[in-house]
Amino acid sequence: MTQRRSYAVGTGLFIVLGFAALAYLATQTTSVANARQGDSYTLETHFANVGQLKARAPVKIAGVRVGSVQAIDLVPGKEEAKVTLSIDKAHEDIPDDSVATIFTSGLLGDQYVGIQFGQSKKALAEGGIIGLTRPAQQLEEMIGKFFGGGSAADRLGGTYKVTGHFTNVGSLQAGAAVKMSGVPIGSVDTVVIQPGHLDAFVTLAIDKRYAQIPDDSAAAVFTSGLIGSQYVAIQPGGSPEFLKDGDEMVLTQSALQLEDLIGKFLVNGSPSDNKNGAGKSGGQPDASSGK
Amino acid sequence: MSARMDRGVVTQSLAQIGACGLFLLTLLAAIPRSFRYGRETVRQIWFVGAMSLTIVMTCGLFVGMVLGLQLYDVLSIFGGTSATGTVVAIAIYRELGPVVTALLFAGRAGTSITAEIGLMRATDQLDAMEMMAVDPIAYVAAPRFLAGIVALPLLGVVFCAMGVFGGHLVGVTWLGIDNGTFWSNMTATVDVHKDIINGVLLKSIAFGIVVSLIAVYQGYTTPPTSEGVAYATTRTVVASSIAILALDFVLTSFLI
Repeated sequence: MTQRRSYAVGTGLFIVLGFAALAYLATQTTSVANARQGDSYTLETHFANVGQLKARAPVKIAGVRVGSVQAIDLVPGKEEAKVTLSIDKAHEDIPDDSVATIFTSGLLGDQYVGIQFGQSKKALAEGGIIGLTRPAQQLEEMIGKFFGGGSAADRLGGTYKVTGHFTNVGSLQAGAAVKMSGVPIGSVDTVVIQPGHLDAFVTLAIDKRYAQIPDDSAAAVFTSGLIGSQYVAIQPGGSPEFLKDGDEMVLTQSALQLEDLIGKFLVNGSPSDNKNGAGKSGGQPDASSGK
Repeated sequence: MSARMDRGVVTQSLAQIGACGLFLLTLLAAIPRSFRYGRETVRQIWFVGAMSLTIVMTCGLFVGMVLGLQLYDVLSIFGGTSATGTVVAIAIYRELGPVVTALLFAGRAGTSITAEIGLMRATDQLDAMEMMAVDPIAYVAAPRFLAGIVALPLLGVVFCAMGVFGGHLVGVTWLGIDNGTFWSNMTATVDVHKDIINGVLLKSIAFGIVVSLIAVYQGYTTPPTSEGVAYATTRTVVASSIAILALDFVLTSFLI
């Protein structure tokens, strides 16, 4: 009988130990450990793009977790995402002009919603809407901005075309951006060599919104960054007349060849020489010939 | 015996599986009757479960430790050592915990069940029970079967807890991953339903049924010779291992 009881006690201990381990695993090592026991209230936000945000993603203020994303839906009839946030009752003092932003933890991490406080004295109530939002940053867009000449402007207003002759366009391709003061205002339409000419003939399609470009402006082929793609930069002149559809830009500046520059630098030595040399080869506006 | 040898391997295996299935039905039918031998079931849980704790805990600790070490080494290539805790936990909960525990259980408890019942068969104890109007299926087979089903999930959970502890020991204490990062990444990713219930518990229960059934069946149908008992014990380990690994794949493909 004593032997039997020791079995029973030992078995009981074993079962209790098993369930204790189960409770430990389930509550301490899983997302249950993150679940808040307290009451919560919901806020609504609208984003232009939620990226990879998922339901149950954390909501953070100053990096501290205050709640989670409850639901992500599409606003009916609009290209807009409605994100419902569930916030702990303990954090009821979020100003109603706060900004909600979708952040990424680390370069490859998951996305979460960050709330930055505004200045308002009024706090958001249950069901309140955070009006100011910043959408998820798409990595592709950022890389595009960094390496590319920037995305070409949309052509909502239609375009007008101007032309120019360049002695060397480098690796400029149709579709490359046209920028003025760094802002994309159009795109390169065609890059061709006309019969009977030895220089490149480039057609630029410029958005009609930017119709007030002086007709003595210069067009230059620039490179964004050291290894970026090439784009056409317009440097405004001082003429009171503006460029019209079909006009030709007389002042052009060809692409600088990295190989040329390095060669000059190695041969001439000093940086100041290099600057002059570069200016002589392609930096000087060369009036197009043949017309 | 010779008639069975004559048949092909395929036919023989099919016959084994069929006989095993029929035995399962007999066993299930005998379970209500075996409830009157509750004490015997408790004794078997003690024997196959509690007595296996040492080996399961030791193995769990080492599996967790080696996982922590390997993952830290590989993840440091990508600068992602903070994910060590997450990956250790998920790997153990979903795969290593249930599978390794079941393999250990087949080796530690399955063999002893087969050998014990096989020797009862060889020494005519089972026949003697029948003559005394004691149903050997209800008194001998069913309690061991039930004990296996109860014990394996509990052992699996203990294995997982020890594994996570081992991963923590290596990752945090020895290799210097931040303690908070280790746990917060784990709690952010591991899901109760998907990893604990579907991973550890459901798989362990399925493995418990399969391993106990094979062990009891092999013991019960062993030829009553010392050679037969030896073969039956070997077959228990081989068949259980194959069944565990194959079933693991099937279950995973359904659960994932």
